[in-house]
Amino acid sequence: MASTGAGYDLSPTTFSPDGRIFQVEYATKAVENAGTVVGMKCKDGVVLGVEKVMLSKMLLPSSNRRVATVSAHAGVAQAGLAADGRQVVARAREECDNYEEVYGIPIPPTVLAQRLSEYVHYFTIHGALRPFGTSTMIAAYDEREKAHQLYVLEPTGVCLRYFGAALGKGRQSAKSEIEKLDLTTLTCRDALKEIAKMIYTCYDESKDKPFILEMAWLCEETKFEYQLVPQDLIDAAETWAKKELEEDDDDDDDDEMAS
Amino acid sequence: MLFAGHEPARANNVVSSSPSAPPRQHTSRPIVTGTSVLGIKYKDGVMLAADTLASYGSLAMFKDVQRISKTGSYTLVGASGEMSDYHAILRKLEGLERDNLNANDGFEHSPVEIYSYLRAVMYQARNKFNPLWNSLVVGGYKDGKAFLGSVDLRGTAYEDDVIATGFGAHLALPIMRAKWHADIDEGEARALLEDCLRVLFYRDCRALDMVVLSKATADGTLVSDPYKIETDWSSASFVVPKAGEDGDGGW
Amino acid sequence: MFRSQYDTDVTVWSPQGRLLQVEYAMEAVKQGSACLGIVGEGCVVLAALKRQPNELSGYQRKLLKIDEHMTIAVAGLNADARTLAKTMRTECLNHRYVYGAPLQGARLVLDIADKYQRCTQMYVRRPYGVGLLVACVDATGPHLYETCPSGNYNEYVAVAIGARAQSAKTYLEKHVDAFKGCGVDELCKHALKGLAGCVAGDKELDAASASLAIVSFDAAAGEAATQIIEDGDVQKYLDTVEIDAAAAQAENMAVDDAPAADAMET
Repeated sequence: MASTGAGYDLSPTTFSPDGRIFQVEYATKAVENAGTVVGMKCKDGVVLGVEKVMLSKMLLPSSNRRVATVSAHAGVAQAGLAADGRQVVARAREECDNYEEVYGIPIPPTVLAQRLSEYVHYFTIHGALRPFGTSTMIAAYDEREKAHQLYVLEPTGVCLRYFGAALGKGRQSAKSEIEKLDLTTLTCRDALKEIAKMIYTCYDESKDKPFILEMAWLCEETKFEYQLVPQDLIDAAETWAKKELEEDDDDDDDDEMAS
Repeated sequence: MLFAGHEPARANNVVSSSPSAPPRQHTSRPIVTGTSVLGIKYKDGVMLAADTLASYGSLAMFKDVQRISKTGSYTLVGASGEMSDYHAILRKLEGLERDNLNANDGFEHSPVEIYSYLRAVMYQARNKFNPLWNSLVVGGYKDGKAFLGSVDLRGTAYEDDVIATGFGAHLALPIMRAKWHADIDEGEARALLEDCLRVLFYRDCRALDMVVLSKATADGTLVSDPYKIETDWSSASFVVPKAGEDGDGGW
Repeated sequence: MFRSQYDTDVTVWSPQGRLLQVEYAMEAVKQGSACLGIVGEGCVVLAALKRQPNELSGYQRKLLKIDEHMTIAVAGLNADARTLAKTMRTECLNHRYVYGAPLQGARLVLDIADKYQRCTQMYVRRPYGVGLLVACVDATGPHLYETCPSGNYNEYVAVAIGARAQSAKTYLEKHVDAFKGCGVDELCKHALKGLAGCVAGDKELDAASASLAIVSFDAAAGEAATQIIEDGDVQKYLDTVEIDAAAAQAENMAVDDAPAADAMET
C-alpha cells in the first residue's frame, strides 16, 4: 500500500500523515488519462484544441463537445470526466450571466477564473462531496484591458494563468513543443497547425481509439468572441500536421541512413 | 431571559396578517412610460413602428429612447408602458439568446415562441399581483411566415394583421384597419404607419415626432435609426383650435 | 468481502482515478434487456426487447412516450427510469405551456444527464442504474441520444444498449450507411433484425416480447408524432422481416457480451 494512502485516502477531508490529500490526487488521475487538450495564448488571441476520443463510429461528430461557450467573450475546453466538466461549464455560465447582470460589463477573465476556482475548491473540502475529475482551460477576453487570457483550472481548485498549457495523456510532449514556440509572435492561424501537430504527435493510430480534433478560439478574427474554429481551417491544420509528421519521420529515416 | 422593557422585533413579512396594517402592495402604476407601438403585416413580412419618447407623467423626460428591439435573428419586440419593466423583459430575452448561443446546436426561438414566452412571463407576474407594466408587440418572420402578436400587462395575448397599443388602439387602429389589405407592399405599409404616427403626434400629448421604423422579413430584422416625421400644423383646427367656440377642443 | 476499499461509496476516487460505484451502475444497464434506436430520414425508430419476469406476469414495458415528439427506451432499473421519465414529461409539458412549442431534445437530454451526474458527486445519493435511448424529432431534425449512469450522453446515428447489445451493435454498424435515406418501414425492419440478435439463446423474437416506437414528422399535424407498437400489433412488422434465427443466434454466440462500457470516458 506504499503507493496509495493506506486508509488515509478515502475522503477529501482526510490528510495523510505527510500532509497530502489523496482523494484530490486521485481525481487528478482521471484528467491525466484523458484525451489531450492544448491551449495557447498567441499574439492575436487564444486557441484551444482537444483530442475528442470517439468510442463508436455511429457517434455523431458533434456529439459530446469538449469545448463550450460560456459567454460571448469566454469559453472553455476540458479534459477528464465529461459529465463533471458540464457542471463546471454550467457554473461558469452562471457566473458570467450574474456578473454582467450586476455590473453591466462582461466578466473580466481574472474574476471568472477566481470564482470558478472557488467553486471547484469547494468540492475538495467536504466529506459528502468528491473533487471534480476534470481540468478546465478558460479562454477569455478582458474588455477593459483589451487583453486575452488563458487560464487552467485543476481539480484541486488551483487556477493559474498561462501562455501555453497542455492537459491529458499527451501533456508532456505537448508542453515541450509549446516551449519551443515564440508565443509573442505566433498568430492564431499558425497556432491551429501547431496544436494539430502536437495532438497528432502523441496519437498512436494502432493503439489509441479514433478521435476528432475539436478546436475553438477567441481572437481578432472572431472579434474576440469565443467560437468553434471553422471546419475547413481544422481540416487544413490536420493535413498540414500529418504532412509535417511524415516529413519528420522521413528525416529520422535519413538520419538513420547517415549513421 | 428578557430584558425589562424589551419589545420583541415585529416581523415585517406578515404585514397583511395584522388587521391594522395596510395590505401589501406591489406596482400599481407605471412611472416612466412610452406611448403607442404600431405593427402591421405586409406582403414581405411585418413592420413595427414607435416614437422615441419616454414620459415622466406629463413631462417629456427622455427623447431618444429605443422602444423596439431585435431579439434573435427573426423577432422584434416593441413596448409601450413602463420603460424599466421593458428593459427587464429585454434582459430576459437576452437570456434566451445567450442560452441558444451557449448550446450551439443551431436552434433559435421562432417569433411565435417568443410571443408565447412573453405571454407566460406577463401572466405569471400578474398572478403575483406584480405585473410588468407594458403592452408588448411581437413581430417576426420565419420559415416564410410573418407573425404579429400582442401581450399586455395582464397576460392577455392575441394575434392580428394590424396591432396598435396605447393611444394608438384608439387613434391609429381605425386608420390601419381601413387601409390594410393582405398584399399591401412595403412602401404602402411604411406610408400607412407614418400617417398613423403623425396622427398620434397631433393628438396624443405623450407622443413625439421622432420615430423608429422596423421590419422583419426573409432577410432578417432591421431597426431604423430615429428620424423625424413631417408634420403640417396649418390645418384650421390647429390654427384656431376652438374656432371661436368655447367648446370641447375644436374637432 | 469487497473487491476494493474504493468501491462502496460513489464519492470516492480509486487511486487510478476511477469511480467504481459509477462503473457498477453501468453494469446494471447491461443487465437490462436490450433496446436499440436508429435515425432515418426525418424519423427515429426504437426497438426494445421486453422481459416476462415470470410465466404468470405480463411483459415489462420498455418504451415510454415522453411527449408527442419524443419517446424513450430504457435498459436497467425500470423504477429509476420512471422517475427520469416523469421529470422529462414534466419538462416537456412546461415547455409547451411557456413556448407553445415542443422542447428541443438536446436541451432536455443535457438536463437529464446533469441529473445523473449530480448523483455521482454526492455521498447521500446513488447513481441511477438505468440507461436511456431518447428518440426525438424537433426543430433541428431527428435525433437519437443515449444517456448513462455516469452522466455522459451522446448522440448517435444508431445505437444499442442492454444485455447482448453487442450483437445489435454489430448489426447496426454493418448497415449504418444504409440508414440515412431510410423511411419508417425500412427502419423498423432493420430495428427488428438488429434486435433479433439480442434474444436469449433458447428464445425467439416474437410479438409478445418485441416492441417498436416510431417518432416521425406528421405532415398533417404539422409536427412530430409518436407511435408505440406493442403486443399483437408487432406481428405484422415481424411478418415483413425474415429473421434467420439461426444466423442471429450464431452472431450472438460469436460475440461475447459488450466490453465494459467506458464509465470513465474522458
